[in-house]
Amino acid sequence: MEVDSQKLQRKQSIYLSFDENFEIQKEVYRGQQYSQIYFARLHMMRTLLYSLVPNWKPHIPVCKVLGLELGKVCIVVGTLYKHMKLKPCILDEYSKERSATPLVKPHNFMHQDDYLVLEDESGRVKLSSAILSPSVYVTGVVVALLGKETSAGDFFVEDVLEAGLPPQIEQPLKSREDKYVVFVSGLSVGSSSSNPLQFQLLVDHITGHLGDEEEQGLAAEIAHLVIAGNSIEISSGLLNRQNLASTDQSRLSDPIKELDILLTQIAASLPLDIMPGSNDPANFSLPQQPLNRCLFPGSAIYNTFRSCTNPHCFEIDNMRFLGTSGQNIDDLTKYSEAKDKLDFLERTLRWRHLAPTAPNTLGCYPFTDRDPFLIDSCPHVYFVGNQEKYETRLLKGSEGQLVRLICIPRFSETGVAVVLNMRNLECHALSFGTQFS
Amino acid sequence: MNKGGNPRKRPPPPSQNQPSPATKHQATGEAPPPTPMEEDFVDEDVFLEETLMGEEDVESLILRDIEQRQALTSRLSKWARPPLSDAYTSQSCSISFQQLEIDYVIGESNKSLMPDSSGPAAIIRIFGVTREGHSVCCLVHGFEPYFYISCPPGMGPDDISRFHQTLEGRMKETNRNSKVPKLVRRIELVQKRSIMYYQKQESQPFLKIVVALPTMVASCRSILDRGIQIDGLGMKSFMTYESNVLFALRFMIDCNIVGGNWIEIPAGKYKKAVKNLSYCQLEFDCLFSDLISHAPEGDFSKMAPFRILSFDIECAGRKGHFPEPTHDPVIQVANLVTLQGEDQPFIRNVMTLKSCSPIVGVDVMSFDTEKEVLLAWREFIREVDPDIIIGYNICKFDLPYLIERAQTLGVAEFPILGRIRNSRVRVKDTTFSSRQLGTRESKEVTVEGRVQFDLLQAVQRDYKLSSYSLNSVSAHFLSEQKEDVHHSIISDLQNGNAETRRRLAVYCLKDAYLPQRLLDKLMFIYNYVEMARVTGVPISFLLSRGQSIKVLSQLLRKSKEKNLVIPNVKQSGSEQGTYEGATVLEAKAGFYEKPIATLDFASLYPSIMMAYNLCYCTLVTPEDVRKLNLPPESVNKTPSGDTFVKPSLQKGILPEILEELIAARKRAKADLKEAKDPLEKAVLDGRQLALKISANSVYGFTGATVGQLPCLEISSSVTSYGRQMIEHTKKLVEDKFKMQGGYEFNAEVIYGDTDSVMVQFGVSDVEAAMNLGREAAEHISGTFTKPIKLEFEKVYYPYLLISKKRYAGLYWTNPKKFDKMDTKGIETVRRDNCLLVKNLVNECLHKILIDRDTNGAVEYVKNTISDLLMNRMDLSLLVITKGLTKTGDDYEVKAAHVELAERMRKRDPATAPNVGDRVPYVIIKAAKGAKAYERSEDPIYVLENNIPIDPHYYLENQISKPLLRIFEPILKNARSELLHGNHTRSISISTPSSGGIMRFAKKHLTCIGCKALISNTDQTLCSHCKGREAELYNKTVSQVSELEELFGRLWTQCQECQGSLHQDVLCTSRDCPIFYRRKKAQKDMVEAKRQLDRWNF
Repeated sequence: MEVDSQKLQRKQSIYLSFDENFEIQKEVYRGQQYSQIYFARLHMMRTLLYSLVPNWKPHIPVCKVLGLELGKVCIVVGTLYKHMKLKPCILDEYSKERSATPLVKPHNFMHQDDYLVLEDESGRVKLSSAILSPSVYVTGVVVALLGKETSAGDFFVEDVLEAGLPPQIEQPLKSREDKYVVFVSGLSVGSSSSNPLQFQLLVDHITGHLGDEEEQGLAAEIAHLVIAGNSIEISSGLLNRQNLASTDQSRLSDPIKELDILLTQIAASLPLDIMPGSNDPANFSLPQQPLNRCLFPGSAIYNTFRSCTNPHCFEIDNMRFLGTSGQNIDDLTKYSEAKDKLDFLERTLRWRHLAPTAPNTLGCYPFTDRDPFLIDSCPHVYFVGNQEKYETRLLKGSEGQLVRLICIPRFSETGVAVVLNMRNLECHALSFGTQFS
Repeated sequence: MNKGGNPRKRPPPPSQNQPSPATKHQATGEAPPPTPMEEDFVDEDVFLEETLMGEEDVESLILRDIEQRQALTSRLSKWARPPLSDAYTSQSCSISFQQLEIDYVIGESNKSLMPDSSGPAAIIRIFGVTREGHSVCCLVHGFEPYFYISCPPGMGPDDISRFHQTLEGRMKETNRNSKVPKLVRRIELVQKRSIMYYQKQESQPFLKIVVALPTMVASCRSILDRGIQIDGLGMKSFMTYESNVLFALRFMIDCNIVGGNWIEIPAGKYKKAVKNLSYCQLEFDCLFSDLISHAPEGDFSKMAPFRILSFDIECAGRKGHFPEPTHDPVIQVANLVTLQGEDQPFIRNVMTLKSCSPIVGVDVMSFDTEKEVLLAWREFIREVDPDIIIGYNICKFDLPYLIERAQTLGVAEFPILGRIRNSRVRVKDTTFSSRQLGTRESKEVTVEGRVQFDLLQAVQRDYKLSSYSLNSVSAHFLSEQKEDVHHSIISDLQNGNAETRRRLAVYCLKDAYLPQRLLDKLMFIYNYVEMARVTGVPISFLLSRGQSIKVLSQLLRKSKEKNLVIPNVKQSGSEQGTYEGATVLEAKAGFYEKPIATLDFASLYPSIMMAYNLCYCTLVTPEDVRKLNLPPESVNKTPSGDTFVKPSLQKGILPEILEELIAARKRAKADLKEAKDPLEKAVLDGRQLALKISANSVYGFTGATVGQLPCLEISSSVTSYGRQMIEHTKKLVEDKFKMQGGYEFNAEVIYGDTDSVMVQFGVSDVEAAMNLGREAAEHISGTFTKPIKLEFEKVYYPYLLISKKRYAGLYWTNPKKFDKMDTKGIETVRRDNCLLVKNLVNECLHKILIDRDTNGAVEYVKNTISDLLMNRMDLSLLVITKGLTKTGDDYEVKAAHVELAERMRKRDPATAPNVGDRVPYVIIKAAKGAKAYERSEDPIYVLENNIPIDPHYYLENQISKPLLRIFEPILKNARSELLHGNHTRSISISTPSSGGIMRFAKKHLTCIGCKALISNTDQTLCSHCKGREAELYNKTVSQVSELEELFGRLWTQCQECQGSLHQDVLCTSRDCPIFYRRKKAQKDMVEAKRQLDRWNF
């Protein structure tokens, strides 16, 4: 093969990690409960909302849930709690009255009788309203409500104030050349649906081993790869057994080895961030801690290999990225409704909270003095992994914020990775197929 | 508490001390329904002036702090009842109201209504509510207590007046202190007939003795019982008739009033009281003859909007003691008032001692002293004027506690809680013993004019549950866990600040709301009012008295119609009280994989009584059989050898009552189908239920040897007919449905009990079995006397018959789909079983019957046993709970929970269980030979110290019996297969973290992979295991992951129950199934995290 005289140079970038917030270092389980994270969340959000209230509704008194008086119009800030009839409950395991009636559809627990309750540290009040739809909100969101107490003891809501998009750091200069970040999720190495060839094609493409010069030239402009969760799939049955037979031992470690080999190929040519997901060998509750380096003896020795937390926050060339492996949005789809997944993403930004349903229905570490999921700075790119299909939208905030929202599909099922151009925040899908018709 | 018996127990009749006549019934299986230990019905005269406080005293007491009260009064006054309309105030309209409570009081006879009489007399008080919600107190005059004796032959009018004088003289001797001028008002000669035995003559002369006051009935009766000197006849003792009827009930019967019905007094027939005696809006006097009692039909079947108060109190107990009114203050009282028929309370408030932060939708009233709290509550009761007071265990705890506390504090004006002005509530001392709270001296509180409805008593009466704590009852019926705050925490919350007291108030309110919700959910108001209407007794009797008064009331009403009188039989409780119970056909145990059709007798015992005209008044005594020479075609000789006449000679009263009850039930059920309005439906459903229960209790009444009117000839005849019918059915089925008869298979009766027969027709198709069942039912019904009827109702398929009264099967009523899984006798509601047993049995039955996967069931059992032996079992499944009823010294035999309570007291007296608490424990591994009671341990202590449990105890003493019961009919060698198989070979036991041998142990780090010791503390694995890093890490992390998920689900559930996100969970309800898991998850999490952290090198 003729060697090309002009060597392609891979684009470089400046990378900064902001994962510190999601790392659990000194925190230990000391018998603390979940009330403290709610308390911290309410405290932070209230300060923020109080600062917005004078512009929203000037001259209306602000009070706590306890201070409500019958018929008096006022503003209350509190955490929403959604009472859900169909919400699964661990106690049901005990009162097992086996019935022949089919169980509810497992993907959504909404019911028309659901209602919202507002709670602060002083108390609770049931909300009644035409404008505050229980199907939109979930437990754990902090909002300011304008309304009055009715004779039935409810709080009749007339208006709602959400915190809105957080302020954004100034966009980096626009005049630069194309530079790409690739997102992929749900590689599911080891599962029946994963196709090793498909993944190999992806690796070859981004490392520049595929296609003609033009294609290689494009590949060289990829500056970074983000793997957003669920890279490995291990059958859960294997782990529950007391003693593993040696054949099972290999069934358990083979997918990890396979992934390590492929990651080594990538790490050798460009920087990659790998986030844990719900199926990965990582802890369950959010924030998930980085996958242990001992799982990746090959790739972990490269300094381009970064094992990150989930959620994951970082900057590339001063552009801020924030994303999760999908659990926060999946949980919202179970407990609320929206026209598409991107709506959920948008809502979490406007609520300034990555995962409002944690800890209520989404497992989370019982933090004592902070809520790491609050979003205080608006990202330029906000992504979630492991969704059914690729979706994207550009969100414009009231203060000029510009956010690229991305749903990354599961690669093992769709063969799609997502490419983002950092120059203009444009985005396209990268599809790999191994079937020829 | 005091299950089945009567809480108002007076000294028991002597017969109770004799050997129980019930033993033989139990041997044969079916004992008559529980009606033992009925009290003797005794009236108690309450003299009006004695209960009232001096008018001046009260005025001064009330005046004293009137200013402080004004603020409160205005706060409460908005809840007063709606004001009276003009028509009421001008007395121009008739007053009709639903009565809830009827009692009487002794006062001066009303001069204006009855100009002829004077002196003290009984005044009936009827309390009720009008349609508009006005409270009514109707004072009825002129009704006099009376009873009958049979008139000695040849007694003329002169003899009667002489007899009257003698009796009056004797009465004066026994009632020396009475101010009544004439004790025996008059004696009338009447024509009546005794209900007992068939008699040819229509009637006989009886003397109706009318006395001045209700209590004199009893004293007069005892004089006549003992014997009285009569000129010309000498010393003679009399049998009395209807002398044991309570005065209020007598009045209701004679005026045709049934419990909870509507009463009308036409305009002009009542007089407004000159001076109001009660707090009721409408108080008036009238004559008993002017009352119009409406039958509960049409508009009069509705319920008035009565006010139901549900309340709960909290007391600050001292550490380690159950609260006592002499020491511990009442700190909060929460109240909810609901109008009957509404689904939300219209008043919610809480009265607290010391400040309390506000609660949304609740009126919080805080006071500085306990006295003010108590007085505020009294004020509240008076202002809101509830008709029914409900709560959980209020009769035994809350109400007596408040009153005794007021006494201790010297708040003399507190106990005016009833509807009578300035009348204190009456407190009676009673002793009661219960499994939950032990034997305790207690008080019984009578609140005049208000019905007390204790949900605890009601639930205990009507439902068989494994535990009656408010927590488990609400978990059972409302399917939600109640937050339980341990009483040692209550004092801490009270001594905190306004916020912590608010926390307590929220808890207290929840406890006050649960009884209301139970009341609604279980339709108690409808069911009890309908029961009162059907049986004709006041509502308050239903909870406070036994079964028999309900039947007696119906019997008295019917007898009155027929001009019969009921003798007051002296309770003899002799050996005559044995008779054979129902029959149970031999159960052919096995697992039946072909459909089993079940043929049921519809209300068998009532049908038998109707079919064979069994009654007191149709029974012919053996002498009469000889003497009367009745034609054989007009009598029935029952299989037990007694003779009853047929309806052609004399129609029985009991059959007539039963016919009416059954016809009324049919009507109610038909109306129920038509009804659209949910409230009307509730009434009708309550009615049909009440009618069914009433019809079934008649048989028990005749068999209750210590009851009001036992007649074993009737009850033994009933059961003998029942036995005959079961045998007859079996024979008929097996004779008809056989191959010779042209059927496909030979039918076989595999089992039969009291009123049903199980038949295997041999067909393997459900539909075919149903058709044969129907055919058999029709064929056999034709051979019985009407209305006895055999019905085909259901098919069991498959059917697991274990032994008599123990079976399980899928229940089919249509051939397409089974309705449910039905089990009898094996459901493990026994409270001294651990949850594991229940889960295991349920799961196995599910697998065997529904999944038809016996191997799967066996596999499941093996896995569970292996989990148990390998120490992988969730501890909460192993907890056994028992109530501590008395202290250790009082128990004769050493019991595990008592010993544990003693040990816990030594560890920490503050948190140790007290008498009345429930003690949860697990059985731990201990030295060989240690007794079971020494091996009990607190589950929390076990969790904290990693104490190994004893899997063999659970295997042998808990799960083996129920399991073998199920599997023995299915598996050949169930015992060796299930309990001694391969899966029982590996065992794992946790090492205790302290104590014992661990004090001498030295801790070393070991390799996570192979447990080899490693010296370098930075390492996780030994050099040998290094290559398995990924695999071993995977395992550790998946453990952490599972625990994290569990941790999150458990603790958020507790937040959910608690109803708050921002406050820490305090609940320590040991009845809650996740309590131990929550605790364990928290602890395991720490350990798992430490393991995981070892990987971060």
